[in-house]
Amino acid sequence: MKNDKKVFFLIEAVLGIMVVVLAFLMLQEKNGKDLAKVSIILQNSEDNQWAGFKYGLKMAAEDHGIEMSVVTTEGAWNAADEMDLIEAEIEHGADAVIVQPAPGAETEKALKKIQKKVPVMLVGSAASEERDDSELPVTEPDHYAMGAALAQELLNDYNGNISGKTIGILSETKETEAAENREQGFREKLEDSGAEISWSVSGSFGQDGDQSLSAMPKVDVIAALDDNSLTEAGKNGAANDLHGALVYGIGHSMEAFYYLDVTAVECLVVPDEFNMGYQSLTQIAERLRNRFYRPEDQTISYTVIRKETMFTKENQEILFTMS
Amino acid sequence: MKNKYVINLKKLKPRGMQSTVMIAFSVISVSIMLILGVVMYFRFSAASRQEVVQSTQKLMEQTAENLEDYLVSMRQISDTVYYNVIKESDFSSQEQDIQTKMNLLYEANKDNLRSIAIYNNYGSLLAAEPVASQKEDPNVTRQGWYQQAMEEMENMHFSTPHIQNLFDDSTMRYYWVISLSRVVEITQDGVSQLGVLLVDMDYTGISRMMKQINTFDNGQYFYVCDGNGEIIYHPRQIQISDGITSENSIEAATYKAGVYDEKFEGERRKIVVNTISYTGWKLVGVIPYSTFTHGMVNMRYFILLLMCLMGMMLAVINRLVSVSISRPILKLNHSVLEYEAGKKPEIYIGGSLEIRHLGNSIQRSYEQIDSLMKKIVLEQNERRKSELDALQSQINPHFLYNTLESITWMVEGERNDEAVFMISQLARLFRISLSQGRTIITVKEELQHAESYMNIQKVRYKNTFSVEFDVDPSLYSCCTVKLILQPILENAINYGVSSMEDCGEIRVTGRREDGNVILAVSDNGIGMSEEEVDLVLTDSNRIHKHGSGVGLVNVNNRIQILFGTEYGLSIESEPDEGTTVSICIPEIPYTEENRKILERGSIFRKEEMEDKGMRENRDEE
Repeated sequence: MKNDKKVFFLIEAVLGIMVVVLAFLMLQEKNGKDLAKVSIILQNSEDNQWAGFKYGLKMAAEDHGIEMSVVTTEGAWNAADEMDLIEAEIEHGADAVIVQPAPGAETEKALKKIQKKVPVMLVGSAASEERDDSELPVTEPDHYAMGAALAQELLNDYNGNISGKTIGILSETKETEAAENREQGFREKLEDSGAEISWSVSGSFGQDGDQSLSAMPKVDVIAALDDNSLTEAGKNGAANDLHGALVYGIGHSMEAFYYLDVTAVECLVVPDEFNMGYQSLTQIAERLRNRFYRPEDQTISYTVIRKETMFTKENQEILFTMS
Repeated sequence: MKNKYVINLKKLKPRGMQSTVMIAFSVISVSIMLILGVVMYFRFSAASRQEVVQSTQKLMEQTAENLEDYLVSMRQISDTVYYNVIKESDFSSQEQDIQTKMNLLYEANKDNLRSIAIYNNYGSLLAAEPVASQKEDPNVTRQGWYQQAMEEMENMHFSTPHIQNLFDDSTMRYYWVISLSRVVEITQDGVSQLGVLLVDMDYTGISRMMKQINTFDNGQYFYVCDGNGEIIYHPRQIQISDGITSENSIEAATYKAGVYDEKFEGERRKIVVNTISYTGWKLVGVIPYSTFTHGMVNMRYFILLLMCLMGMMLAVINRLVSVSISRPILKLNHSVLEYEAGKKPEIYIGGSLEIRHLGNSIQRSYEQIDSLMKKIVLEQNERRKSELDALQSQINPHFLYNTLESITWMVEGERNDEAVFMISQLARLFRISLSQGRTIITVKEELQHAESYMNIQKVRYKNTFSVEFDVDPSLYSCCTVKLILQPILENAINYGVSSMEDCGEIRVTGRREDGNVILAVSDNGIGMSEEEVDLVLTDSNRIHKHGSGVGLVNVNNRIQILFGTEYGLSIESEPDEGTTVSICIPEIPYTEENRKILERGSIFRKEEMEDKGMRENRDEE
């Protein structure tokens, strides 16, 4: 009799606990889980050059169920500004950050500190100049190979004979790993070609910048190693302000394509920005799902585009991601 | 192995009634609940699956209609340009007119239009709206839409989405368009020639429509492909072309409108296909099977919750029912156990009608057992007392004293013969009284005893009454209880004839009646009233005025103890007329065996005794 009572109360207790657990699960299911928030910090984030990258981020966010927001930034910046932004984002509830590292030596140190709080993924360039030393995962194209590919296209156009030709190199900064590697790749490819690198300048050009391309010494070829430099060179080229210099460059904005289309640019090397956005956010999403996952470095591809191949199906899709 | 289980099962102790009822109820209710739960779940999931498919179909029908409307409006624009503008005008003389008309059309539809352009058969631009500078060398004749139009001149052609590569509007932008191209007949300088009319639709029109329905976060999505499976719109278009993911569009393009099941890349999914008329495009809705389960998770929880709650409720109800059924039985059992343990015989009476009846029966039977036990004890006591009384009557000192005094008196008066007679009668009286300690003697012996007793009494009472014995001799060999006539005779003398002078008559008769032996003692004495007659056999505490003090009640008891309650004494009396006391005993032949049985106290059935007596008689013969 007593045993019966015990069994009865035990059954009731077990069922009661199950009811509570199920009710809790149901409520949780109804409320829905909060999406993980990822903040993306880019220099000049509203600039057209990030269109493909942002589209990639958006698609990855949809695929992985992540709430992503690109922080609006403008103008030149430094490591300190960037860290302030990241801190603010973390304060506002960001679970992870995707950062285009600001040029400068302090960036890496500061980012490592951030990484202790939230997962960090770098895009476009590694923070450390010595890439192997960096503990921060990076999603970027092979900058050296892009520089070399650009040089190769130049060589191809001259049938490998560019001896005596003068070349000017343009880049927005020389302080990033990306810029360095691109230039290095470009220079090394042309090392034995006899071509002369007349100048290599970095900084802002054009209306906002303090330098003017037309003021630069005349060269046969201008190699613009990033999107801003390329669009600036293209603009000058279209306006015939380059003293007849041909522009070769690396770019990923619609303007860069336009200048290629109007032959202000001879050859364009385009990193797959869509994939850079997609892969970086995918890695971060995986890290957020699994605490023990270590995001890996991702190398994205690049495409060499000329005016003739600009409207092939594949290249149209690159343009599609930018529109 | 099997035997082991059987042995284990046999070892199980029998369970209590409540547990058995509870287990039976629980097993039944849990099974019913499980079956109900599973059936409910499958019903719900099938219904919700159907609902999802149906709602998808409805949504797709609407979207397909919108898409068709959109495409029809584009075709109408193309038709209008062709029939109302191109066919009506000559390009060399009415260029301005053509441009105006095209402008009107463009302005009216510019939300969905990117451009309208007319090319001649060399690929040269004849007119375009909005007016924009043509690119340096767009190589029109090599573009897909131009080639398609030229290949099949009689049709209108919808291209797949592509970047428009025709005009430079100096905004540095590239537009994603779907081209509707057709061959047209143009007139220039009065000469008719072929040309191509191009209507470029803004891709955003279609993508906006598709985005509006691609809002599910459960894995369900919609895409559009052309008749060859080329994707026109897909929410993950770039991922597909980058190889990150893939789509079964080539197969979907072969499907007719309807609902299909397919397995793609290891994932089962339902495909709803709608055909967009004229274009051959397919609007495809993809519902992965995980979508159904995604929506069902909460339903699963809900059904489980419901089952748990039902389980809790059923456990309570089961317990209440099993307790209400088993409690009265348990209480009854408990009270019986207490009774068996020697406590008060208070049997529980309660619960349902049947159990009450059971309790009542047990209570009654216990009470009967109790009263029977008491009766047995009482009878035993009575028996002992009767025997003692009989013993007492055997050696009644007063009677002996009187008799001896009479003898003494006879001897002194030298009436030696009478004295001898008295002594011999007394001797016979005592011999039969003793009868070697037997209780059962023959009727003959009993009559002899009565005769001796009466002979002695007659002497004592100086022959003031007469005695007559008239007994059927065939009854002599029957069994009787000893010393039953003496107290009756004593009563007859004391209360009947003692006070009469010389006319007292006592008559002892014996006859057979209905298989019984009836011995009767009649006197013609003073008799008794009816009330007195009743008291004689019921009042055992009656004080005897005379005689041995052995009452007729005692005689009656002894007969009934030995032969049964249907036997005994009966008295008939009339005041001043006399009294007849009849002894009714069964006719049982006297044998040693019958005697022993009777003396042991077992009451034989009369037939049994008779059979035995007959058998013995036969044996003796």
